Amino acid sequence: MRRETFSSWLSNSSWLNNLTTSFFLTNAQTIGTCFGFAVRSSLPFYYLRSGDGEPLDVSAPSCIDDGDVGELLIEWAPTPQSPFEGRLFKKATRLFLQMGGAGWFVIDTEESSITLPEQADLVRREERLWSLPATLCFLARGDLPLHAAAVEVDGDALVIGAPRTFGKTTLAAGFVNAGYRLLSEDITCLRIASDTLAIPGPAMLRVRPDVAERMEIKHATQLGETDDRVHFALEEDARGDGRPVPVRAVVLLRESDDGFRLESAPSTEVVRDLWPLTFGLPTEHDRARAFAGLVDLARFVPISNLYRPRRFEDLAATVEYLVDAF
Amino acid sequence: MGPQSKVRRKPQVMARELAEGEGGVLLHLESGSYHGVNPVGLVIWELLEDERSVADLVNAVRDRVEDPPPELESDVMDFLTGVEARDLLIVAE
Repeated sequence: MRRETFSSWLSNSSWLNNLTTSFFLTNAQTIGTCFGFAVRSSLPFYYLRSGDGEPLDVSAPSCIDDGDVGELLIEWAPTPQSPFEGRLFKKATRLFLQMGGAGWFVIDTEESSITLPEQADLVRREERLWSLPATLCFLARGDLPLHAAAVEVDGDALVIGAPRTFGKTTLAAGFVNAGYRLLSEDITCLRIASDTLAIPGPAMLRVRPDVAERMEIKHATQLGETDDRVHFALEEDARGDGRPVPVRAVVLLRESDDGFRLESAPSTEVVRDLWPLTFGLPTEHDRARAFAGLVDLARFVPISNLYRPRRFEDLAATVEYLVDAF
Repeated sequence: MGPQSKVRRKPQVMARELAEGEGGVLLHLESGSYHGVNPVGLVIWELLEDERSVADLVNAVRDRVEDPPPELESDVMDFLTGVEARDLLIVAE
């Protein structure tokens, strides 16, 4: 057998050099953005937007021994209001998050990386990535998470806050169908300042099965269905990029039996009602920062209660009412 | 709790002032309990940063507030009783 020297083997293997270069490029290049992060990964993604941001390396699989995850910071138990179940641990600079039966997410906010568990359902795995793991990263960055949807109207963001199952995703779907851009569906990332900004999240929409039966979700492709949600990804030309959008207003959804009305509320009530929408944050420092952020949000952005009929037939009228109001 | 009781706010309670004239909000960082205070309540809360007697506190509030009412002392005592009941206050008899 002819024995080639190392250098001749390399010079005869330019295809290997190209493959090696492209391999590193694939691992290092940005494939899309979400929540202000430029995602660098070789994994498949379904919900990213175009544009740039702070690098976030996403890889899989995570390999964890239960005894090697450090100190328990917080445990979430499911409640009627929130089915979320999870435990968060900290060891050195890394956070170890166990979400239900989904396995371990390893989050390093200093290195800006998230390692995902091995999971057959890649769509569901990405949805979990953009929930608490990504929230922990943008919280560390100084941004505020809010359990809210956000849509873009005439270049500004309208943030729609409500507890789970109170209709914010359905209303967001109504905006999408009316041709407005969805910025976030369940978690809104806010950068609080005198010019508060909403940072676009995943381009996904997960509506209740009864809603999906009654309305065709335009500008979106169905990816799958679980017991309580039908999962859609916005089509590419409906996603836009990840640039922050100025927040024009926040509305908190209320129910009404007699038409529509927007009412301002005293700031003490507004902060009280927004506080449960900030999640069970793991440390006192996080809670203090979120609280300060909420108070500042109430100072910088108009926040109103929207009383509206909570009937499916009134969805288009609700969208129209809000667009006219803001 | 009486005039010579020493009082100060609990360090685990965070306070933030709202827009002018709206008072403020308090959050107990451990329990998560949330409370609103009016502008005078916010003044009292600020003065509770350092331990002082209730009598000293009343005098300090009187210096800070425009046109203090004659029942200021009982108003302050009511406020202190309320925040103590909400686990926001440290009282040393």
